Amino acid sequence: MPDQRCKRIFAMLSDYLNTELPVKNCRELERHLKGCEPCIAYLESLKNTVEACRRYQVRKFPAPSRKVREALRLALR
Amino acid sequence: MNAQIEEAIEILKSGNRQDAERALETLQGVVYGFGMKVCGRHEDAQDTAQETLIRLARQLKEFPDARALSVWLYKVAKTQCLMSRRKSKFAPAQMLALDDLMPRESDLLPAAKKSWQISPEEILLNQELRGRLEAAILALPKHYRLVLILRDMEQLDTREVAEVMGISEETTKMRLHRARVFVRNALAGYVKHLKGGEKKGHA
Repeated sequence: MPDQRCKRIFAMLSDYLNTELPVKNCRELERHLKGCEPCIAYLESLKNTVEACRRYQVRKFPAPSRKVREALRLALR
Repeated sequence: MNAQIEEAIEILKSGNRQDAERALETLQGVVYGFGMKVCGRHEDAQDTAQETLIRLARQLKEFPDARALSVWLYKVAKTQCLMSRRKSKFAPAQMLALDDLMPRESDLLPAAKKSWQISPEEILLNQELRGRLEAAILALPKHYRLVLILRDMEQLDTREVAEVMGISEETTKMRLHRARVFVRNALAGYVKHLKGGEKKGHA
């Protein structure tokens, strides 16, 4: 990354995306982002990666097994 | 915590037989899906779902609330995943150092920045990219992989992930960031290649 400030910001990006960054750091990050295109671009790509993970779904799944159904039947008796 | 899981557990706890089948299907999908994301193999995911749900049935009356039982469900599923894996191999238990994951300056030049303009939809709809995403997650060392799956894919909050993993919230956040950056960087090379190819194709 271009400089030490970017390195410091880089470590905060996930907390920022999770809205878990303390207000003081949040201000510092947003000030930095106003003037740093590489950090803006990296944040955007990280955000898209996280969003893809959030939307990812396993497409098919098998039905519950006979053993599971039996255990549940016993539990609900 | 995923509201769908809590609702399914509430139905089972209430003993409502009419809705029990639907609730069981929901939980089967959740635990099997979690197993596939963590292990990457149908057999392991199926074992994980079966063992976890049998244990859940036995615990239904022991836990006072659905949220506590949901966290417990993930703890059991996580342990089952780690135990039931067969020939699948986990990446070695290594540490991911933030310095090693930092992008190089060449990755941040204007051309490289433009090449990363890809939406989450494009990532998931493109079979190759979807496969790369799955491979990148499976390539993560297991403690990073579990945190990323629980936080970003299962959508637990930081406190819940820390509870399932038995680690502090600070460690959870640190692992999550490194895991996300690892996956982002793993996709970056392919996205660049893909975008370059598209441009050539349109020329």
